[in-house]
Amino acid sequence: MSPAQFAAKRLGKELQKISNSLPPGIELVSAENFEEWLLDIKVLDNNPLYQNETYRLKFRFGTSYPIEPPEVVFVKLADRPIPIHPHVYSNGIICLDLLGQQGWSPVQNVESVCMSLQSMLTGNSKNERPPGDEDFVRGNRLRPKDIEFFYHDNDV
Amino acid sequence: MANASEDESSLHEIDWQGIEYVDPVDDTLLCPVCKTPFHSPITTQCGHTFCAVCINRALETQATCPIDRQPINKNQDYYRLPLIIKDQLDRLRGCDYEGSREHLEGHCERRCEFTRVRCPDPECDKLIARRYATPEQGCLHEDTACQYCSKVMTYVELGTHWEDECDGVTVQCPDCDATVARHRLERHQSHDCAEGYLECKWQSAGCKVAGKRRVVLEHQDSGCAFEVVGHLLQQRAEDRRVIDDLSMRLASLEASRSRRRGNRERQDLSARANGDVTPHSNIPGVVLNGDMPLVPGSAADAGALDSPEDYMLSQFERLDTQMDQLQKNTRDMEARLALSFLQHTTRVGEQFAELASKVGVINMHTAWLMNMQRQNYAQQRAGLAAGPSSQADASHSSDASATGPGSSSSDGAGMRYQAGSRRNSDGSRENRTRL
Repeated sequence: MSPAQFAAKRLGKELQKISNSLPPGIELVSAENFEEWLLDIKVLDNNPLYQNETYRLKFRFGTSYPIEPPEVVFVKLADRPIPIHPHVYSNGIICLDLLGQQGWSPVQNVESVCMSLQSMLTGNSKNERPPGDEDFVRGNRLRPKDIEFFYHDNDV
Repeated sequence: MANASEDESSLHEIDWQGIEYVDPVDDTLLCPVCKTPFHSPITTQCGHTFCAVCINRALETQATCPIDRQPINKNQDYYRLPLIIKDQLDRLRGCDYEGSREHLEGHCERRCEFTRVRCPDPECDKLIARRYATPEQGCLHEDTACQYCSKVMTYVELGTHWEDECDGVTVQCPDCDATVARHRLERHQSHDCAEGYLECKWQSAGCKVAGKRRVVLEHQDSGCAFEVVGHLLQQRAEDRRVIDDLSMRLASLEASRSRRRGNRERQDLSARANGDVTPHSNIPGVVLNGDMPLVPGSAADAGALDSPEDYMLSQFERLDTQMDQLQKNTRDMEARLALSFLQHTTRVGEQFAELASKVGVINMHTAWLMNMQRQNYAQQRAGLAAGPSSQADASHSSDASATGPGSSSSDGAGMRYQAGSRRNSDGSRENRTRL
């Protein structure tokens, strides 16, 4: 079985599962194919930074999923802002070790990634973007997975 | 798919991740990587289990366990899977094929109706489950319209559509006034229709009620008169089975016991032939081996009796008589024991009295000797005080000790002699002679 088939099988299973049930605050928006899914997440507690907001996540799966991580970014729409967080750039790119080559594990899945992001937002109290956000957003032409993040801060 | 031969081989290669199972699969049997039941699973040193394919693929990217990220060396840290997991996996079932998963490959390749094979139409390159692939039907991937509801779908989907969804053409049931889809009419009539024909479920117990389902169900609910009989019959069948089972076990037990008994008798005989005295011929209390009324040919007797009940009763009687015999033997034994005990005690009592009298004699001798000693001492002291008389006193005392042993054998005289010496020991006469 080729890796692409493997990825499709696995995504099929995941889709089957999450279309039946998802944890609170996570919703499947669209999963037309096995390349790109959209999900909405909400922060459930009353953290004033994220209260009453819904954020759109875009998952892009390569053919080697789940061996390699999917590309996950926040998407900006009229009613879907980019959450403010010291690890989320204003163009939606997320700096999270879980989504990098090193931090990823094939045991992770779409649901677990969403939950991790949920809790990353829940635990944050800093109303700020990552340092050098403006420069990065202006200058970056790389895909998120090709950016070399330096995961220095394990607290947030 | 590059060429035809590769295509063929991949057709029959089981897609382990794609198998659908009849029953829901327990979550613990799912590989955490591919989320399907383990296929040729491997357990790592850290105790986690994955499909071989999955873990190998994961390790190519990162040499750590996907779950706890402990480093894993492919060549050292793989362990054999606990067999219990293999057993559990092999019980999973796919189609109605009843068999363990380990035989799946052969079944799948040759027979399974659910295996996807190539569409019989040479023009079509899609796959289709074997049960649908009949050459007469040609390609089944072309869209067809449902004959009842005109919904368009591929032929393959038609079956499930009819079973569950299609309400296209409905008809009146000829018996009741329900409206059902035409292709489900048959099932309705045999299972649901209130006017359909049904027999009372206690028919086997003798109930004659049969007719429209509505009536018969009412009859059953309001309590069929034969229900009690039916229950009794069921119970009787049950009892019969238990009895048969028990009597079979009893027969086998009896057989093995008589075999053992045969062995024991042979041993007894050989022992007697060697001139040994067998225990039960000597002690009347122990007759268990020889004269037991139960055992002889009991297994053979069982065959002669008609029913297991009779057999059980006869066994009971035999056990009873055996019990009586045993009680009698016990009583016998007790009497014997009491008698021999009594004999022993009397003899011991006599010896005891004899010993007591001897102790009395020894007591007297000791007292006599003590007096003698005391007398000697007194005489010595007197001799020190008055020199010349000491010699005579010493000779007198030696005379007395010499006559001592003789007096013990003829006691009466000894006693008198002792009484005399005692008066001497007062020293009154000696004092007088000294004066």
